[in-house]
Amino acid sequence: MSSEKSFAAGSPAPGPVPKDQVRLYSMRFCPFAQRTRLVLHAKGIKFETINIHLKQKPDWFLEKNPDGLVPIIETPAGEVVIESVITSEFLDEVYPEKKLLPATPFGKAQQKMMLEHFSKITPQLFKISSARRKGDDVSGLEAELKEKFTSLNEYLVKRKTKFFGGDTITFIDYMMWPFFERLGMFEVQHCLDHTPELKKWTELMLEDPAVKATMHSTENHKTFFNNFLDGKPDYDYGL
Amino acid sequence: SVARTPEPGPVPKDSIRLYSMRFCPYAQRTRLVLHAKGIKFDTINIHLRNKPEWFLEKNPLGMVPTLETPAGEVIYESPITCEYLDEAYPEKKLLPSTPFGKARQRMMLEHFSNVELHFYKIPVRRLKGEDVSGLEAELKVSLTKLDEHLVKKKTKFFDGDTITMIDYMLWPFFERIEMGDLEPFLDNTPELKKWRAHMLEDPAVKATIHSVESHKAFFKGYAVEKPDYDYGL
Repeated sequence: MSSEKSFAAGSPAPGPVPKDQVRLYSMRFCPFAQRTRLVLHAKGIKFETINIHLKQKPDWFLEKNPDGLVPIIETPAGEVVIESVITSEFLDEVYPEKKLLPATPFGKAQQKMMLEHFSKITPQLFKISSARRKGDDVSGLEAELKEKFTSLNEYLVKRKTKFFGGDTITFIDYMMWPFFERLGMFEVQHCLDHTPELKKWTELMLEDPAVKATMHSTENHKTFFNNFLDGKPDYDYGL
Repeated sequence: SVARTPEPGPVPKDSIRLYSMRFCPYAQRTRLVLHAKGIKFDTINIHLRNKPEWFLEKNPLGMVPTLETPAGEVIYESPITCEYLDEAYPEKKLLPSTPFGKARQRMMLEHFSNVELHFYKIPVRRLKGEDVSGLEAELKVSLTKLDEHLVKKKTKFFDGDTITMIDYMLWPFFERIEMGDLEPFLDNTPELKKWRAHMLEDPAVKATIHSVESHKAFFKGYAVEKPDYDYGL
């Protein structure tokens, strides 16, 4: 399956997952699926991708996961794992090379707590976008976002590290990245103006091979997102 | 639990400390794991409407459950505390050993998390005379799915014939069915009823359980924003 084109309802079900790899059900512009793709690339895991048309989901896809969301990982044994964080942890545990989570129980807990804090930022981004679209005043929401960015910045300053888990990229950096990649798309890039360490972190992330392998330009993100907000997402945009 | 209680001393070297609230279902998850694994711990209950400064310094979010180790490491969020304990204390593993087994339990928890708060929202909003039909429908669907899971697996507990982590993560909410007058929701879920009966025999459940009366008494205050955290003491 070498095409990236999305599979819609009526498309034939894919065969079993080949023995030496995993399969990722995804959507090219989905930030949550990008987390799993970052982990797959970072760990050098052999995988194939099936992109799903999220407005016309194939029956065979819904059978694997009635929730019908991406990302999903399917193994050759037919095991199905859903949800961006659960799939990412699963991959890190199954594939021992290039561990992304720390080895100690507290190290893992720290990253999960950071992710919990970060998860309060993502809905803000979508809120700001839809408020701006409606012509509402977003200054209050942007002020809140800037505060959250300041917290993240202070964390980096206090730890004196380049990345959120130390001086090399780890799990938490990849879990956060897809949303920072989309700051231009959300039109909140200026909210990084007073957070130099956080800005530096985004620049370092842009040099990472896994990020380079999975990213889209702000232009492409904007085009996809605008179509998506208009109710007409073009899942195959750019192909 | 009093707001102006002095800061507790350091955590003893062979122990772990749990910041908790006696009636909190999320903190009960951590307590269940502590008991099930035979971990030595002490408990400090926190007055959640008047949190001590020293507690907010440890966890700025100010939530329970929070764990503190002798090394001063602080861990919060109920699933994170439970996984931490299972990893840090090797006896009586509660999570499966395989990555897929762990993922399977994490996925079950993820699904259930969509309706956890319904166990509280439904009774509170009913008291206020609000329309709860949407929440009730969602809870019914969720409980039916859980029942079907047990029917399909043919096991006593959610991931086999012995209690594992997912059972403890679900339990606190099912302990509060009568508190919320939610008994009718179990009318068509016989396997879920049996599971509850099995859980009631578990030593960790017995060590952390409150009676229906106590739950109802606490809930009365909670529902009007006047919780009595020390009810029964």
